[in-house]
Amino acid sequence: MLKVLIPTIMLFPTIWLSSPKWLWTETTAHSLLIALVSLTWLKWTSETGWAVSNMYLATDPLSTPLLVLTCWLLPLMILASQNHINPEPISRQRLYITLLASLQTFLIMAFGATEMIMFYIMFEATLIPTLIIITRWGNQTERLNAGTYFLFYTLAGSLPLLVALLLLQQSTGTLSMLILQYSQPCTLQSWGHKIWWAGCLIAFLVKMPLYGVHLWLPKAHVEPPVAGSMVLAAVLLKLGGCGMIRMMVMLDPLSKELAYPFIILALWGIIMTGSICLRQADLKSLIAYSSVSHMALVAGGILVQTPWGFTGAIILMIAHGLVSSALFCLANTAYERTHSRTMILARGLQMIFPLTAVWWFVANLSNLALPPLPNLMGELMIITTMFNWSPWTITLTGTGTLITAGYSLYLFLMSQRGPAPSHIMGLSPFHTREHLLMVMHLVPVLLLITKPELMWGWCH
Amino acid sequence: MTSRLSRMWPILARVRLSSVLGSRCVSQTPKSNASGAATASDLQPVSPAAQDIHGHAEVSPFEKNPDFHGFHHQDSFVDEWNMRLAFFFGISVAIVIGGTFIHYLPDHGMRQWARREAERLIKQREAYGLPLMTENYYDPSKIILPSSGEE
Repeated sequence: MLKVLIPTIMLFPTIWLSSPKWLWTETTAHSLLIALVSLTWLKWTSETGWAVSNMYLATDPLSTPLLVLTCWLLPLMILASQNHINPEPISRQRLYITLLASLQTFLIMAFGATEMIMFYIMFEATLIPTLIIITRWGNQTERLNAGTYFLFYTLAGSLPLLVALLLLQQSTGTLSMLILQYSQPCTLQSWGHKIWWAGCLIAFLVKMPLYGVHLWLPKAHVEPPVAGSMVLAAVLLKLGGCGMIRMMVMLDPLSKELAYPFIILALWGIIMTGSICLRQADLKSLIAYSSVSHMALVAGGILVQTPWGFTGAIILMIAHGLVSSALFCLANTAYERTHSRTMILARGLQMIFPLTAVWWFVANLSNLALPPLPNLMGELMIITTMFNWSPWTITLTGTGTLITAGYSLYLFLMSQRGPAPSHIMGLSPFHTREHLLMVMHLVPVLLLITKPELMWGWCH
Repeated sequence: MTSRLSRMWPILARVRLSSVLGSRCVSQTPKSNASGAATASDLQPVSPAAQDIHGHAEVSPFEKNPDFHGFHHQDSFVDEWNMRLAFFFGISVAIVIGGTFIHYLPDHGMRQWARREAERLIKQREAYGLPLMTENYYDPSKIILPSSGEE
């Protein structure tokens, strides 16, 4: 764990001591080396449980894929931001990369935490750099509103979580996940216990987000610059998923009945947010709602608490992280050229940027869960386990799959096909940097087809 | 809405890019021996006074540096080396070497071992005529149940 954490902390000297000319080169190279070292976490030679590096930081088959995704994403964020941050003064550029690196540090400590309070503190700590990125570097006035929604939705969910964790500490004497997994399942009947159950989960359901509490997401994903959108969609949502899977271990007998309304809300959310996607005029907003739709499926998979549910959830989290980030990068390339997120203003792009049309195509096919990509594998496992839980869910998940395919194809056709309007004829060609960025997003998704067991978790 | 579309469609379908642009999309660069491709700036004239939000003139960076890779606007040396290092560390090191490392990782989660062990045990039990698996996971004699009278 330290072999990645220390180099990540050393990113701060790299950022502040690099010469201005070589700042981006050095930070990109440094973060890619960290990503390479993080791949060693994927070695899992035992059959169960945690690879404990010390009492407070450990990796297990749930956190490892998420940790590798986090470490992979930082160089991609740096690559994506390089162009639009360029006009700013050098100290502000350094500050921007510092925020991204600090996010990385907090996320590594969050996913690697063994103690629930450490997880909680790091969960909260990630809010601060993200808020600064959204409100300081966002491009429209709405960014302030977006920051407010983002901060207060998450805080409103996580304050009950703090109380619930303190109660748990009081009753069991420890909050270490290494120990709590062996604690007695609690026989809880009173209303207070049910509220405790809800308190444990609400924060993560808001973060995922679950359909009823998802309103922060379209704002918070649309307003920040590309790196903010990337990290939000790819990793921060998965903090919610990871937290839920961790908490489920301790919440057991109650969850059989109490999860019911949340599963229904999640299923309904797939349909509703998918339908909203079909009506979107704003490109980033469409991708944001598509994130809600996919995460609702993940939330449903976790709440039914079966092995396939957990496995499907982890696979879908990783695959969605990479693909959603790729789509935001593509949206940013259109935004940097046309300075607008409106879809009808940037259409017919296939004739103007033919190679990029390939990236749009692959990213959209991944989004609609084309076999044999891991997106499909995750979705299929979750749909199967929900069918096992109740056969009626197939109507909702099946319709959801259909709508997902609908809006993904809509996104592709709107942006790529059709006659290109005259005002975009003179758009600047695609940079090598942007092609590299897309390759580095999509190649891992394709490679994961060949070794999916890295993402299966410990239940398979 | 469909009736409006069906009325307008014959007109829309006949709109050609050439009628919009005012000329056919054929390369307008003067014939020369070098097979120069039309750059993006040939298609529309750029007014030098036009400034975009970022404060620099709306001139394509490819004007100054035709080999612009998107990394550094001002210095082409830095731009080129940034591109080379990003590709090297991103693809050659992280994806290729990292991918090879992952490919050769030992049996992940002991899944292949579990399969081999199961087949070995089945073969062994069939050879000895033992049942493949006992019906009870826990030994029933060790389970102490409360008597049904109290509750």
